[in-house]
Parts: sequence; C-alpha cells; structure tokens
Amino acid sequence: MLPTYLTLMLLFPLLGGLTCALAGRKLPRTLVEVFACATVWGSFLCAVLAAAAYTAPQVITLADWFTSFDLSIPISLYLDPLSLSMTVMIGFVCGLIHVYSVFYMREDQDYARYFALLNLFVFAMLTLVLGETLPLLYLGWEGVGFCSYLLIGFWYADPANADAGRKAFITTRIGDVALMIALAWLFQLFGTLSVTKVNGMGFLMPGSVITMLGILFLIAAMGKSAQMPLMVWLPDAMAGPTPVSAMIHAATMVTAGVYLLARLLPLIGGSQVALAAIAVTGGLTAFYGATCALAQRDLKRVLAYSTISQIGYMMLGVGAGAVTAATFHLLVHAFFKALLFLGAGCVIAAMHHEQDIYKMGGLKRSLPLTFWSFLVGAACLAGIPFTGGFFSKDSILLAVWLKGGVLYQALYLLGLLTALITAFYSFRLVFLVFAGGNGHVHRSSGLTVMQLVLIPLAILGLFGGLLDLPAYLGGGYLSAFFEGLPAGDLLKVSHEQEIAMQVLAGVVALLGLAAAYFRYGKGRAERMREAQARPSALIGFLAQGWYFDKLYHLVLIRPYQACAGFFWERVDHGVIDASVDGLGSGLGGAGRLLGRWSTGKVAVYLISFAAGGALILGYLAWLAL
Amino acid sequence: MSVPLSHVLIVASLMFAMGLGCVVAWRANVIMMLIGIEIMLNAVMLTFVGGSAHWGIADGQLFSLMLMALTSAEVSLALAMVVYLHRRKNTVNTDQFDSMKG
Repeated sequence: MLPTYLTLMLLFPLLGGLTCALAGRKLPRTLVEVFACATVWGSFLCAVLAAAAYTAPQVITLADWFTSFDLSIPISLYLDPLSLSMTVMIGFVCGLIHVYSVFYMREDQDYARYFALLNLFVFAMLTLVLGETLPLLYLGWEGVGFCSYLLIGFWYADPANADAGRKAFITTRIGDVALMIALAWLFQLFGTLSVTKVNGMGFLMPGSVITMLGILFLIAAMGKSAQMPLMVWLPDAMAGPTPVSAMIHAATMVTAGVYLLARLLPLIGGSQVALAAIAVTGGLTAFYGATCALAQRDLKRVLAYSTISQIGYMMLGVGAGAVTAATFHLLVHAFFKALLFLGAGCVIAAMHHEQDIYKMGGLKRSLPLTFWSFLVGAACLAGIPFTGGFFSKDSILLAVWLKGGVLYQALYLLGLLTALITAFYSFRLVFLVFAGGNGHVHRSSGLTVMQLVLIPLAILGLFGGLLDLPAYLGGGYLSAFFEGLPAGDLLKVSHEQEIAMQVLAGVVALLGLAAAYFRYGKGRAERMREAQARPSALIGFLAQGWYFDKLYHLVLIRPYQACAGFFWERVDHGVIDASVDGLGSGLGGAGRLLGRWSTGKVAVYLISFAAGGALILGYLAWLAL
Repeated sequence: MSVPLSHVLIVASLMFAMGLGCVVAWRANVIMMLIGIEIMLNAVMLTFVGGSAHWGIADGQLFSLMLMALTSAEVSLALAMVVYLHRRKNTVNTDQFDSMKG
C-alpha cells in the first residue's frame, strides 16, 4: 500500500497544478479553488495514511529513468522518519494556506495562475523531500525555485515585484551551481547518486574530499535557505502575495537547504570542518536576521528577517550534528511562522494593504482572534517557556552546548544572545501592531474565514513541544522516531543540566519580552514620535540589512554592469556590429560606384568593350615579346 | 602566293580598326554602327582567308563562308530591330535608348 500512497501523494498536486494551468481559465472560479484545495488535502491524507502504514525506512522504486552506461537513476522515493515528518507537515501547512488563499486572493482575477503555481509548488516540494536519488531531489529543488520565482513576481505589472522575483532566482541559482557541482563530483567519486548508498560510503573518501563536498552542499543550502552571505533575496521576496510568503518563504521551501544537509549528514558529518562551517553559517545568520528584524518597519519584512534568523538556528542544529533538534525546530517553525504570516495577512487585509507597523495599532480590540493567534505565534518565535518554539529552540541550543569546544560554546552564547533579541523584536511587533491606537479596520466576510485558519496553526504551534518533550518530562516522540536515523545521535545529558539550560533560555526569553514591554508597550507614544524623525545611523544600518544589498551592489552588480556596458557598447556595438555594418556599407558603396558605370548608353559599353579587348591584346603582345 | 600573309594581316587589322572606329564614333545612327560591325566582320573573314591561303588548308575559307551566312542572318535581325526602335522613339540615335541604366 505504501507505494500507492506515495505515488498518489505526488500525483494529486501535479494533477491539480496541470488542470489549473491548462483549463483553469475556462472553469468556474469556485471549481478551481475547490479543486486546488482538494488536491493538496488529498495529498495530506495520503501522507497521513503513509505515516500510519509506515514501519521502517524504505526505498520505493517506481520506475526506471536513466539506465544507460554507468549512470543509473531510477525514479525512487525514500521514506524515513525525516521525509515522513516533512511530508505530513508540508501537506498540512500547505493545505491550510490553500484554503486561506481562496479568501485572501478573492479580489484577484488571476486565480488560475495562482493556484496552478501553488499546486505545482507542493508537487515540487514533495518531490524534493521524497526523492531518493539526488537528481530527483535536484528536480524538486529547481521546481520549488521556479514556482517561488513566479509567485514572488506574481503581481508582475509592478517592476519592483518582477525585480524581486529575478533577484531571488539569480541568488538561489548561485547555490544551485554548487549543488550541481557536488552532484557531478559525487557521481565521479561513488558511481551512484542514491542518497542511501552515498550516505553509507562516506568513510571511503579522505576527509578533505568530504569537507569540500560538505562546503558545496552548504553553499547550495545558503542559496535556498537564505543563509549568509546569500540571504539578500528573502526580504525582497515579500513582494509576493502574503499566503505565498507564508507557504514558500517561511514554512516550506526555505527549509529545503536544512533538509538537504540533514539528509546528507551521514556523509558530510564525517568532516568536522564542514560541520563547523555549517554551524558558524547558521549561528551568524541567526544573529544577523534577528538584529535586522529589530529595525524593520514593514510587517512582512520583520517576519522575513525572523525567518532568516530561525533557519539559521536550524543550520546551527545541523552543524552540531543534531538532526532531531533541527527537524523539530523546522516543524514547529513551519507551524508558527505560517501562523505569523497568515496573521500578518489578516492584519494587512484589514488595514487596506498598509504594511508599516508604525501606522497600525489597537487591533487587539478589533481583531481579537488574529490578536490571540498572533500572540501565540510571537510567543513561539520568542521562545516563551512551554510553547513549541521554546522546546525546539532549546533543544538546538542544548545540542550546540553539548557538542563542546570553544567554537561551539561561542556559538551557544551567540544563539542565546540571538534568542534575547528574538524575544524583543517579536513582542515589539505585537505591541506596535495590536496595542494602543484606534483599531479602525476594514472588515469583510473573507476575513472571518482567514482568521479561523489561524486556529489549528496556533494550537500546533502552542503544543508543538509535545512532539519532542525533554527527557525529564517523559521523553520525546520525535527523538524515539528518529532514533533509527544514521545521524540522529541522541544526546546523553543529565536532567539537571537540561533543566538548567531551559531555565536559562526561558529567563532570556522573558527578559526580551520585558524589555519589549517597557520600550514599545509603555513607551509606545514616544516610539511613535521617534519613528517620524530621521532614523539614527545604527537603525539605518540594521533596517538596510547591514547594507549587504549596497555592498553587493558595489562589489558585484556595479562591476558586472560596467562589464556588461563595456561588452555591449564597445565589443558588441563597437567591434562586431560595426565590422558587419562596415562590410555592408562598403559593399553597398562599391556597388553604387560601379553601378554608375552601367549608364544604359550603348557607346559606353562599346568603348569599354574595345578598351578591354585592347588590354587583353596588349597583355598577349607583352607575353609574346 | 604573291601576297604575303603579313600584308593581309595589316590590311585586315586596318579594316578592323576602321570598323571599330565607325561603331564607336558614329553612334548617332544605329545603321552606321551596323555597317561598322560588318566591316569588322569582313576584316575577320579576310584574316581567315589569308591564313587559309598561307597554310594551304581550306578550313579558313569554309569558316568565312559560314561567317557570311551568319552575318546575313544577323543583319536581317538587326535591321528589324532598327525598324522597331525607330517606331518607338522616332529616332535611330543610340544615345536616346538608355533606359537600361543601372
């Protein structure tokens, strides 16, 4: 039964996507919406059934794809705890977001394109997660990138949106190149591209090769998961519709990099250098994202930077070798970040598409349901004790601390500092958007349903900790589930130490909350006044994302444009076009010149003829002499 | 053979030059140009006949007979065209017929 479930899980969204793309414009709108949602929920149902039927990790080969020469790539799927938990999460979150989209996009005329892309995205993401061979994974990888590009630029009539789409596509492409190189190299080394086989053969290679492979996969993950230094595309990706931001740029696609590294951890875990590089990337990115989120004024950009930061945590977890903790955080993050984005979508819809948080306020009274859900999401993000985010973030920090060594302990402290900042900016958002103010909103019937979608996500975020409770509370379901994974090394830690760590993390989160309360809750009026003034240098630095965009513009884009200008104006126009044009005009001129000779007068021809004959005769006479 | 070949060739080339001069210079009248062409052709025939007499081979004489037939055919065509041209523009001046300029 398992192969049937998995095949159907993939085929449902593909069917939905193709139907919407090919016939969506001819079908009635309601039918398209219902069909698009039904296919994703069908896919989720298959995932649940597969989970029920699941017993042990299993490779399921559906068909042969390449069999020529040495290269053998079957279309095969790999179901293990990692991919199973991902598929269930993807089906559920994407299903909810599809329902939400129906109401969010009610005014938009391009519903067929929207739902086609959304469904195709689900298909590509499931392919990425389930693919047993790396080329299949790569196809899914590119598929999600492509759908993401089209959805960021969904409202392409505005050039800024189209530019954001292109930026995302080009930036992630840099990572994709690294992935492509890594795949080719893996095939050259091992003669196979099967994930399970490659994972078991890492010990055959010298450490330096594994390190290089690990770095290449890390670069791929940097692009897709918006890690430093390839993170610049994610804040701009908020140009897309809000449900798209929730689904692709928060909950699912951007975690693909983390998933890739977790998937290949048995291979690259053989190199401590690669692991350290992953951990450092994650730690720095987490800090970077959190600091940038502090200064943003756009509601969605705050959430975008918080996504960058949270994915940094996941990378940190993978770098510490803790796949369970990273996946735990990945799942919980998917729930609460989708919740936050969808809540933000409700706020934006209610505020006539105003996104500046300094122009909001008082929504606590007018949108109570959104407020409570958003509060839960923010609490999870901040890691307030006993929410899902608290347990998952703490398990990562614990794993990093236990890894030992100066580097990891420094990263632990950085992570703790980031947690403090995270709590602060999460509640800055809550206080600015929901407290004070007049709370005047624009209501519509769709808004009610959109708010209802938030409830299941809020429950999952709040109680997500139950997935993997710490050992002193009876042990975790996820840890037991992941025990069989080759890299899922369980942490042996005393209960006292674990409790001490969690108390510390909880205190840090509450400190951040208190600081946010004093600064933005009590001092709200003052902050509002400050917001009118010109921002200070530090705020500007953070608001612009540490000026990374400007740096890249200066270091990469300007020289590139100068090069392009040179090649365009000097080489293409100046040399190639000019030589071809010159040849053409030269021949034309010669033709006109010679054409003057053919006057149509018989006499001229005759004289020319006679002169030619005389020349030939003279030449012959000269030869004879 | 009382006349040496060189004399024949000199007379022939003089005739050819005069014919060519007539064709080039007298373009106000297309009939005079035709006469010039005839003179040039006659010069060629004279060369053939002279060569034939010099080497004692009949080929040159045969060829000059063929040339006579060819010339008469050519002249009949050319005169027909002259009549046609005269009808069109009421003139036989070749400079008036320059519609084929490039």
